[in-house]
Amino acid sequence: MTAVIEVKNLTKRYRDTIAVDDVSFAIERDAIYGLLGRNGAGKTTVMSILTAQNFPTSGEVRVFGEAPYENATVLSRMCFVRESQKYPDDATPTHAFHIARLFYPNWNQAVADQLIREFRLPVKTRIKKLSRGQLSAVGVIIGIAARAEVTFFDEPYLGLDAVARQIFYDRLLEDYAEHPRTIILSSHLIDEVANLLEKVIVIDGGRIIMDEDTESIRGRASTIVGDTAVVEEFVAGREVIHRESLGRITSATVIGALSAEDRSELALAGLDVLPVSLQQLIVRQTQNAAHTDEGALR
Amino acid sequence: MNRTLNVVRMQLVNRATYIWVPLIILGGTLVISLAIFGLIASSGADAEMFGGGAQAPLWYFGVVGVQALTLTFPFSQAMSVTRREFYLGTLLTAALTSFVLAVLFIVGGLIERATSGWGLGGYMFYLPWVWSQGPVVAGLFFFGLAMLFFVVGFCAATVYKRWGNLVLTIVLVSLGFVMIGAMWLVGQLRAWDDLFAFFGSLTPIALTGVMVLVGAMLAALSYRMLRRAIA
Repeated sequence: MTAVIEVKNLTKRYRDTIAVDDVSFAIERDAIYGLLGRNGAGKTTVMSILTAQNFPTSGEVRVFGEAPYENATVLSRMCFVRESQKYPDDATPTHAFHIARLFYPNWNQAVADQLIREFRLPVKTRIKKLSRGQLSAVGVIIGIAARAEVTFFDEPYLGLDAVARQIFYDRLLEDYAEHPRTIILSSHLIDEVANLLEKVIVIDGGRIIMDEDTESIRGRASTIVGDTAVVEEFVAGREVIHRESLGRITSATVIGALSAEDRSELALAGLDVLPVSLQQLIVRQTQNAAHTDEGALR
Repeated sequence: MNRTLNVVRMQLVNRATYIWVPLIILGGTLVISLAIFGLIASSGADAEMFGGGAQAPLWYFGVVGVQALTLTFPFSQAMSVTRREFYLGTLLTAALTSFVLAVLFIVGGLIERATSGWGLGGYMFYLPWVWSQGPVVAGLFFFGLAMLFFVVGFCAATVYKRWGNLVLTIVLVSLGFVMIGAMWLVGQLRAWDDLFAFFGSLTPIALTGVMVLVGAMLAALSYRMLRRAIA
């Protein structure tokens, strides 16, 4: 387990608001991370500080063991295209990719060309005339084709239609399988990216409220499906975070790992166990964190 | 170093900004100036005419200086370019294009000298004072002037990037007040005659030196501000 990014007590303050509040975490090599959280949680701020596009108020950031600020050796191994990325006036996607090829040593033109075709991106149109989805596609193509050792995607799916989003997820996974690297994907559409993520960092109100393997988070809760009466009997006394009923069938999501006894009891009762949506768990966790915060204030 | 040169290529990737637009401006003003010279000459006037059209591409350099920062800097950040690489590469681009512009001005001036003002007695590049120390100094003068325009635009855009529109406006208005104050002071000291005499005595190379000095100071200031600028 080698950490490519280490963050210690990072704080970013804008006048009277704290965007990032005393955050510490590490990012390991060759894994796909989800940086999840609500709008304004501090995701973009964290990523822009890691890439030295922004400055911390206090705290320390190490990338490949060095401070990234004005460090060409470190920066050239990272790629971060912002969600609201600006491009040179009158530049076309062709120009942008041409420039990216100059700066990213591992740039793969074949991958870029394939993505251009699949996204149906008009490469000769000026970028400022592109739609929101096409603009996102430009950033996505740079991010994937650059093959930087550490690549950030900042809400990359904005404006992309369902087909294009699926293309992004598929190509990202394919390319990652062939060329493992560290990918940090920021998103508030958790369920849509959940299958890609090996690790999850959830940030809320500038603080990290979850930093775990996706699997272990999933194991922390389960959804029980079956006859309403039987399900209710089983979940009685357990913490239920979500409940849905259709006719006599109920599905209830309960917190807490299931023991072997639980499982045999479930099998005996004819109840099914389904994996829990990451989104539900994280929403739940985020709301909890908000409550504790209020409690702390009082 | 390689990455700094790549910044030059990044700036030049869109050839319209640095090459075609200045050439169109220069060509356009030349044609317009010639037409005006022709009109005046055909009306029977027999004096030598000096047009100020050559300044048009220079103003454009100020605009390019602004655009180099506001539009290309954010993209350079996405390309993982350091602020230092961006700064050096951008100034190098400005120097290259200023050099090309200066060469064009010299060629234009030499043509005007050889043809006695396009056969019309009209001059746009061959301005007597600028050329008084020869074509090389005239070239240095045009180069220094183009760089100065660029750096002024770049510097103003850096202030805007760091602190926003309000601060930039305050800085510009303050500069206006300083100018007025200086004029008042010159008036109080009854020194206008001396001042004009001083400017009159300046040689082109001396003025070029002053421009380079001011440009270098502004460039250094821009770098200090850019070091902490956020795209």
